[in-house]
Amino acid sequence: MGNLYYNKTAQWIAYAAFFAALAIVPMAIDDDFLLNQLATYGVYGMLALSISLCWGFGGILNLGQGIAFGLGAYGMAMTMQMQTQTESNPIPPIMLNNGLDYLPFLWWPFQNTAVGLIFAVAVPTLFCAVFGGIMFRARVSGPFFAIMTLAMLSAFYTIILDQQAYTGGVNGITPPAPFQFAGIEIEPYSPLAYWTVFFALLTATVIAKLITQSSFGLVTQAIRDDAERVRFLGYGVAGYETMIYTISGLIAAVAGCLWVMLVQYVSPAQLDVGFSISMVIWAAIGGRMSLIGSIIGAFVIQGAQSYLGDAFLSTWLLILGGFFIIIVRFLPNGLASLLEAALGLLATKKKTTTKTPRESNCAEPVPAE
Amino acid sequence: MTGLLEIHHLCKSFDTVKVIDDFSLEVVEGTLCCLVGPNGAGKTTTMDLITGRIKPTSGKIVFASDDITGQSEHEIARAGIGRKFQVPAVLRDLTVRQNLAVAYSRQTNPFWNLLRFRVPGLAQKLDEIATLAGLTHRLNERAGILSHGETQWLEIGMVLMQEPRLMLMDEPIAGMTESEIEKTARIFKELRKSTTLIVVEHDMGFVREIADVVTVMHMGSLLAQGTIREIEADPRVRAVYLGEQEAA
Repeated sequence: MGNLYYNKTAQWIAYAAFFAALAIVPMAIDDDFLLNQLATYGVYGMLALSISLCWGFGGILNLGQGIAFGLGAYGMAMTMQMQTQTESNPIPPIMLNNGLDYLPFLWWPFQNTAVGLIFAVAVPTLFCAVFGGIMFRARVSGPFFAIMTLAMLSAFYTIILDQQAYTGGVNGITPPAPFQFAGIEIEPYSPLAYWTVFFALLTATVIAKLITQSSFGLVTQAIRDDAERVRFLGYGVAGYETMIYTISGLIAAVAGCLWVMLVQYVSPAQLDVGFSISMVIWAAIGGRMSLIGSIIGAFVIQGAQSYLGDAFLSTWLLILGGFFIIIVRFLPNGLASLLEAALGLLATKKKTTTKTPRESNCAEPVPAE
Repeated sequence: MTGLLEIHHLCKSFDTVKVIDDFSLEVVEGTLCCLVGPNGAGKTTTMDLITGRIKPTSGKIVFASDDITGQSEHEIARAGIGRKFQVPAVLRDLTVRQNLAVAYSRQTNPFWNLLRFRVPGLAQKLDEIATLAGLTHRLNERAGILSHGETQWLEIGMVLMQEPRLMLMDEPIAGMTESEIEKTARIFKELRKSTTLIVVEHDMGFVREIADVVTVMHMGSLLAQGTIREIEADPRVRAVYLGEQEAA
């Protein structure tokens, strides 16, 4: 029973090692383009983390995480766009090009950077709280909830595509200058941008890990197992589900902001159904029950896509699909379960060699890394 | 003296079928009431109605002087009613320890639970219940791999962790061995000193052993109520229930 995989101390050490490795990257790499690319992987890692929290721990399959990501991204793009507008030129070009000669009400909050950032994160979070609250109170769950998120995502996609004067339509928003915060310019192709993403990912991971280890996390995992049973223990299941869904949405919204900071661009493609499903695939391949496994899943898949995708072109999608099928069939808990099995094997081997089968105090099997 | 649980003229229909028909029951605090009756008498439906899993068509359920009719499951559970299901319902993917820890539901607010990492009093209570349920050596196992008897014990343990004022036990000894049944009877008699129990059971030997009051249900309504001696002497009960069992 001494599987190191379940040992909380060992888990925290693994997390520390992982982030230490990520911290070395900007010192080892001199290529700003590559650094920017790695930073976008960090954003994808945050998205995979948010899916892992919601789906792996909460049991809520969310195919519409693009809503929170996209709304956060648009909020950030609007803030950055307004940073470049001056007294003499107060209206962004997307409005002028679409026959609007005034700044629409929707854009007002984004004239101030701090207010704009708050809105960029608060609006998607609030959306998750309200939408999740309505759904979970009505006991919508499982595939039905997944379908609802998908429908919602498509609705947002269509609205944003359609309202060209407000959102830039299919072209989206392309802020001409890097993001400025408190007088500092965060140039996308710079170590500073990398570090910003690094700390956001670190903070999100530590918070998510603490959540899974709290009493709240335990109840959430119990709900994943059997929501009906948990009600009879006195827990308001809808409240827990809404909360984990909202926290997950909050992380995705922050990821959306960071993504625009890195690429200076947003379009309806960020709310594309395919992208939201990719997030689920990252978590599934990395291991949805493992926060760090999901992050690594995003790194591996997106990294492979960047390099192998160029070599194989559209065949890459077939390779990805095949890989996904293999994982679902043979490793339902993703790549992380390989490590779990290996450490389990090691623990049993150690036990048989020392021949002192004793109760280990540190063995606290949480079905999560 | 009013009862801890009072059921007044409870009715429940599914479409046109009356499953519970004008059923009334009073359970006095500190007693162990056995609910018996042939299959389809409405025993489990009554449990579902008390715990809020289904809502009554008419009638009233009063618990500790509060009307709980129509409240949702978690509100009724918080009011102090714990339940063990007929088909043992434990959280199969979680460990035995986690099952018991979740059941220790003093704090149910999600916001507070987000900030709680050590639950005061949990370790001691968990130790006590695990010992009682004989699951101390199984604490780190996944609940899904337990044997049927152990699963029954785990769920009883979960109800005990809740420390409810009223425990509803739906067929607690199904699948248990003779010695396990004896142990259950012993523990139930011990529990009665501090809490109130309603036990649904088919095994008349077990009922004879533990019951203060026996309530017999038939076709969704109350057929007879009294001590085991009175019930066994009642010719109507013999006709619908005991007779059937002896014939079987």
